[in-house]
Amino acid sequence: MENSEKIKVLYIDDEMNNLVSFKASFRLKYNIFIANNTIEALDHLNNNPDIRVVVCDQRMPGKTGVEFFEEIRATFPKPIRILLTGFTDSEDIIDAINLGSVFRYLRKPWADADVFSAINEGNKVYIMNSLIEVKNAELQKAYDELDKFAYSVTHDMRGPLVTILGAVEIADDMSDMNELKQMLKMMKESVHGLNNYIQNIHDYYNVNRGQLQISEINFDDIVNEQLETFKLTAKVNNIRFVTQISQNEPFRGDAMSMKIILNNLLSNAFKYQKKAGQDKMVELQIKIETGVATITVKDNGIGIAGNHIGDIFNMFFRATSEDVGAGFGLYNVKDALLKLNGDINVESIVNEGTTFKVILRNK
Amino acid sequence: MAAQKMHFLVIDDSKLNCFIAEKVIRNNNDSHVVQVFMEATEALESIKTKPDVTETSRSIIFLDIQMPVMNGFEFVEKFEKLPETIRTQYNIFMISSSVNENDHNRIRNYPSVMELLIKPLTKEMLNYVIDFKKN
Repeated sequence: MENSEKIKVLYIDDEMNNLVSFKASFRLKYNIFIANNTIEALDHLNNNPDIRVVVCDQRMPGKTGVEFFEEIRATFPKPIRILLTGFTDSEDIIDAINLGSVFRYLRKPWADADVFSAINEGNKVYIMNSLIEVKNAELQKAYDELDKFAYSVTHDMRGPLVTILGAVEIADDMSDMNELKQMLKMMKESVHGLNNYIQNIHDYYNVNRGQLQISEINFDDIVNEQLETFKLTAKVNNIRFVTQISQNEPFRGDAMSMKIILNNLLSNAFKYQKKAGQDKMVELQIKIETGVATITVKDNGIGIAGNHIGDIFNMFFRATSEDVGAGFGLYNVKDALLKLNGDINVESIVNEGTTFKVILRNK
Repeated sequence: MAAQKMHFLVIDDSKLNCFIAEKVIRNNNDSHVVQVFMEATEALESIKTKPDVTETSRSIIFLDIQMPVMNGFEFVEKFEKLPETIRTQYNIFMISSSVNENDHNRIRNYPSVMELLIKPLTKEMLNYVIDFKKN
């Protein structure tokens, strides 16, 4: 167990005595792997991808240390390379730097203090490189998202605008008032779609770039706010909206994220109802128990096809062309939950309805 | 210009876009046949099951790119796998709300796609499409 926490160091030397004495000197501090030749060394590297420092003798039969380093630079770029040599040949040093890209050059016989220092410094560089790698991966993800974002913004924002423009242009050739009114209604829907899209971008920014502001949450207040928003939709579309809240203990969380989650789940529940449905219903249930808030949003709408369930939380994914959607809402929900360390699961049956269940923990 | 009677398919998930396209086409010639599909899957089914007709000119498909369920490119992928007797009855024009270099390059891979047009569909654009000859 203790070994796994020590820095893994690989030492390659054709002289057995050196291997034994290296291991003896440094095994307490590091997890030492030894190899009598470069083939054994490659075995170690293959089996232990977390070896951080490789120390190699220069003068070996078959392959020199520099040649070995030059070779593993491509295949095992992460370990830090330290060259050990009894001869001070300036050609060797030049090659070590230019071809082997070594981190340190140590002289044989070694002084323990120099080896300790070289390995410790090497380890620092290793950690730094690993951090950069993680940051690069994050940056790549951000770039990819930005690409997708830019594509969608041009499409989803220009989309409704050019459509409205097209409508204005054909209005010139239209004289039937009813037809014009019908078109105006569709234009209004386009404007709503665009407005909704911009609201979603705003939410996206809040979730992604904003700091969480943890405060005490009164679910009654938050739900009342949502009731205001959806009251009219429920009435106009003849949808029964049932809410049930049981909160007997204080709960701390980020109110903004909470609103984004509730608003998106509810608006989907209202949006994806069966057109000719009887007894249309949206049910919101919130229960706070021993520091865990369980939010359930249930509808008896069109449901989600099984092959789409896995994709619904992806950015810009839309499972249906029923009604207007930007493919943004559930992505924002998932993002908010990721920040809050919450969970979400979904159960859905086509034509019977969908239930989303969100779990949040007290902060 | 007395345009001859033609057959059009409009595939777009936006109700308003479909409405506009239908209007523009009818304004060009009231006897044009226009079929509107808000889901590409339905259009594909219709094309597959449509009996062979002996129309003098090819039918024109206006195909939106970004659509849920099946997008424009997915539609074209499936379309190009249909038998030649069906494929040769149609000329596809993809339409998008923005010029995207990737989309532009991508349509070159599909012989059945004539061109990428930018929304909204106008009467000038329709005339261009009707007179279109692929060289």
